[in-house]
Amino acid sequence: MTQTHTRFLIVDDSELVRQGLRIVLQENPEWEVCGEASNGADAVELFKELHPNFVIVDFQMPGMNGIDTARRLLAVAPAVPIIMFTQHAGNELEKHALEAGIRSVVSKTDSFPIVEIIEALLDPIDRSAVRLQRDI
Amino acid sequence: MVNEQEKVKILMVDDQPAKLLSYEVILKELNEDLLKAHSGKEALDQLLRNDIAVVLMDVSMPELDGFELADMIRQHPRFQKTAIIFISAVHLTDLDQLKAYQRGAVDYISVPIVPELLRAKVTVFADLHRKTRQMEMLNHQLRHLSARLMAAQDEERRRIARELHDSVGQLVATFSMNNGLALMQADKLTPTAGNALRQNTALVQQLSKEIRTISHLLHPPLLDEIGLLPAIKMFADGFAERSSIKVDVDFSPDIDRLTPKVEISIFRIVQECLTNVYRHSESKTASIKIWPSDDKMLSLQVCDQGKGIPSERRVSMSQGKSDGVGLSGMRERVRELGGTLDIHSNGSGTTVLAVIPVTSAETASD
Repeated sequence: MTQTHTRFLIVDDSELVRQGLRIVLQENPEWEVCGEASNGADAVELFKELHPNFVIVDFQMPGMNGIDTARRLLAVAPAVPIIMFTQHAGNELEKHALEAGIRSVVSKTDSFPIVEIIEALLDPIDRSAVRLQRDI
Repeated sequence: MVNEQEKVKILMVDDQPAKLLSYEVILKELNEDLLKAHSGKEALDQLLRNDIAVVLMDVSMPELDGFELADMIRQHPRFQKTAIIFISAVHLTDLDQLKAYQRGAVDYISVPIVPELLRAKVTVFADLHRKTRQMEMLNHQLRHLSARLMAAQDEERRRIARELHDSVGQLVATFSMNNGLALMQADKLTPTAGNALRQNTALVQQLSKEIRTISHLLHPPLLDEIGLLPAIKMFADGFAERSSIKVDVDFSPDIDRLTPKVEISIFRIVQECLTNVYRHSESKTASIKIWPSDDKMLSLQVCDQGKGIPSERRVSMSQGKSDGVGLSGMRERVRELGGTLDIHSNGSGTTVLAVIPVTSAETASD
């Protein structure tokens, strides 16, 4: 992934969190939020339409949870990096999220490292050095 | 609901119609339902079809005598406590009376019958039966209410946890993100403002963690979405961190998703057990084991290596006396699911074992 421009899809049922993430991501001029969805089903539709190259997904949402949403997105585009941004981060959730193909779980309790994690995932050389954020 | 005046059924058994008629005349003023049987066989038939409070029975009958009939009645689990009063003109020796009591008679009346005496004796057992039925019904209602209360409490906890996540939790998360943005430019602030910002960031993180813990204790987030075992594992991890008690978990890998009622009940039992370990046991370790006992039963065992339940408390528990809200709640949950709960405790630890019949969520939805 050598392109400089990264297009993000944000999936979270809280508008406040989506807004907050948008502000954080737009600090980087090479990053753009191309779409927002408040549930998994809408996310799948938007994903097919907008072809984002990075997805940030919440875990607990009405209808479909973030892990099932990620599975649906990865069935469409297996290589797209997805990270989970949740209040419920922990070893157990991370285990299930990674099994589903999610690259990293970031806690909303300590959201500061999210930028660093996205950068590491976008940089193919540094990919092996991705630090998995744990909230213990 | 049974009220004081509700009639109970009295079964009169005698091969002689004239005697049956005389009992009927004597007992009529009690205003209960009087049923007649002319033989042992007819009596058994009536017992099977009705809820009988008192059996009034002649000892001497052809084919099946009163003693033989009493034996047969007592063999049936439903009639082990049915009151039987024997009436006889011929067998009056002490040995005969003893024989009657050994067969479960509650009384023995000789002929000639004193009507007032017969009425008084029958009334005692009719009232006893009525009160027993009332107690059973109240007990049933109480259990039903208790099950509904627990379900309502679970639902309310789920709702509050969800509210916390959706409102306060998201506000704090956004607060934390904004602080993060401000921190990136903290070098532009005065040292005092920069320190205040860093301190606020730490406070928001702490607040967020506390909200998260409260929400998780109210309702485990992984339970509905991923399953019982990950939810218990996540709870055990958090418990170990908060209490400094090391918790080992050992889950059999071949456990499917269960019905929501069974999953929340098992989760709450584990939660209650670990709370007790923390509050009372002084144990530094605990273990949770879950495995299928067979196709239809699931076993849950929670052990600690603490000081055990005090002996005086164990005695009162074994006598069925009060064993505290927590343990009573566990017992009710297990009973509601049709399972069994055993607690073994001594000076080197306590083991709680629940064995619960389970239906997988998949089977239940078929």
